[in-house]
Amino acid sequence: MAVMAMCALLIAVFSVWLPGFFSFGNLFALARNISILGILALGMAVVVIGRGLDLSQVASLAASTAIAIILMNAGLATPLALAVGFLLAIAIGVMNGFLISVVEMPPLLTTLASSLAVLGVTRTTAVQHYVVYLAKGHDDFLKLGGNVWGGAPAPLLVFLVMAALVHLLLSRTVLGRFIYAHGDNPEAARLSGLPTRPLTMVEYGLSAAIGYVGGVVMISETALMHLQVAESTLIFDVIMVVVLGGVSLVGGRGNVMSVLVGTLLIGVLLNGMTIMDMDVQTQNIIKGIVLLIAIGLDSYLHPRDEETSKQGD
Amino acid sequence: MGMKAIVSCGLAASFLALASPAFAPAKAAEAREQLREQFDKAVKGKTVAWAPVWLGVLESEWTRVMKNHFDDYGIKLEVRDANFKSDVQLQAVSALINEHPDVLIVQNPNVTLLAKELKRAMQAGIYVVQVNMASNTLTDAYVGVDAKDLGRKLAHNIIGDCGGGKGSGEVSILEGEATAAYSLDMKNGALEVFKSDPSIKVVSSQPTSWDANKAGEITATVLQQHPNLCAILSVWGPQAAGAAQAIKAAGKAGKAKIYVASDGQPADCDLLEQGAFYRNLSYRADTQGEAIVNAVLALLQSGDKPGSKRIAYYTTPAWVNSKEDRMYCFTVPKIAK
Repeated sequence: MAVMAMCALLIAVFSVWLPGFFSFGNLFALARNISILGILALGMAVVVIGRGLDLSQVASLAASTAIAIILMNAGLATPLALAVGFLLAIAIGVMNGFLISVVEMPPLLTTLASSLAVLGVTRTTAVQHYVVYLAKGHDDFLKLGGNVWGGAPAPLLVFLVMAALVHLLLSRTVLGRFIYAHGDNPEAARLSGLPTRPLTMVEYGLSAAIGYVGGVVMISETALMHLQVAESTLIFDVIMVVVLGGVSLVGGRGNVMSVLVGTLLIGVLLNGMTIMDMDVQTQNIIKGIVLLIAIGLDSYLHPRDEETSKQGD
Repeated sequence: MGMKAIVSCGLAASFLALASPAFAPAKAAEAREQLREQFDKAVKGKTVAWAPVWLGVLESEWTRVMKNHFDDYGIKLEVRDANFKSDVQLQAVSALINEHPDVLIVQNPNVTLLAKELKRAMQAGIYVVQVNMASNTLTDAYVGVDAKDLGRKLAHNIIGDCGGGKGSGEVSILEGEATAAYSLDMKNGALEVFKSDPSIKVVSSQPTSWDANKAGEITATVLQQHPNLCAILSVWGPQAAGAAQAIKAAGKAGKAKIYVASDGQPADCDLLEQGAFYRNLSYRADTQGEAIVNAVLALLQSGDKPGSKRIAYYTTPAWVNSKEDRMYCFTVPKIAK
């Protein structure tokens, strides 16, 4: 709620002060820019609601889309190449879930380590120079990164469709209820007969699969995959969006709406600062302050209690 | 046995020389052999340590050329890939100095990170060569582009196409990492030139962290605010690919033109030929690799104390305008892939 108010305030301020902010064109540009972040955040939200964390999401999407590009360049039909990448991403996610639930390793370290492993293997075997370009002749695929009718960016539509799907999954299906129960109290969930181990694998598989969709949008926008994205701050931006929107790291709380609001706040902020052509240092200062205010307001409105607080939160 | 054989050979030859005056005098042959001996003495068995920022396309090409030559001369090459992590690179360089190679080659991620270590290396008697990205500490040799001059050259070219009423005069700059000397110098060089022409307006100058997606996002926003944008100056190729897609998505293909400072990687020429880039100011990594080798050879044979000279080997860039200029992009040999 606080975040939504903050967001509305920012939009109002920018609309008045920044000529050219409140126009269809710019709002579409803004929407285009946050679509990928938003899609990734949807996947992350699933894991976080189930009281987990997936630091390997970006690495896994980078690796699997890079392989999809290589297959496409080698002449494999686009849908087939994308499907191979999709399965690969899911495999990485399920493997994370297996290590976390069956081997019982902590999610933070497991996914941190697996992201390094995935990236290393990809680099030594397939993408030695870190950047892989999509060859000429995939114009149909690149339309995914373009605009549809009325100038609306296609990535935005992908984001909205994904948001609707994840919303339905979380709020209308048994699996969704299970994920909330799992995050709210894993022990109680297990004792009441929920298959928590397979459930964990499904959660991480979903995070990787949804992340992969974001990755596909990414390559359709740039026609290349630069593996370095896995080592950028993107993964932290994703977590930031999720937490900012109100998907608590303690699990069991938040929904797709929270992700949308969190994404919007970051998007508006970045867009406004780019229009003002601010230098990086100022951008970082403002980003930090806005985040602190938003989180501060949130913990004032929703005080931590014994049930929800945890070490490091 | 070498010398003796040569002398007796020479005696025999002088007899023969009576019969054939064209036969080379023995003394000259000796001098030539001495040159090689002197060369081998100076370089054979020496160790060269190489710490790049990471092993990307450009760096791999340098490494390939270096290895090729050094293998031939009997020089040992030790490579430490820091994979874009500055703490790892700093550690690698410190460790390399302690191993005491004869020459240390570094590519600086920014102007300060390695400054102290490079000084320490020279004090320890190691020749230091810097490649393409210079540090605040000057060392025995610098091999690479003059980034500021690249910026100036690109800016002059943009003014020619966009200034003086020929275009809107609106220019956007895509930087790399904001603190990288390479990016910073190029931007400053370009701004210096742009300021001299009142018809040019730099509407945006943002760092992309070398990321194509970020470059695409910035370009999408800038194009919204400045639909008449005439030129985008990008300090690096792969990130500009993202901007090219954003231009296409905004329906501005052919109107907003991309000018790239290219390290000559094949994809940059591909993108230019596809019309995604308008002009590349390109330098070739393979010839740069040879310049690095030459700098190392010169230092090893100089007999100078490390740290006593400051030699620069500036790379001359060339414009890539069309398919005809393909030679300014290098080709990676199949085996090296």
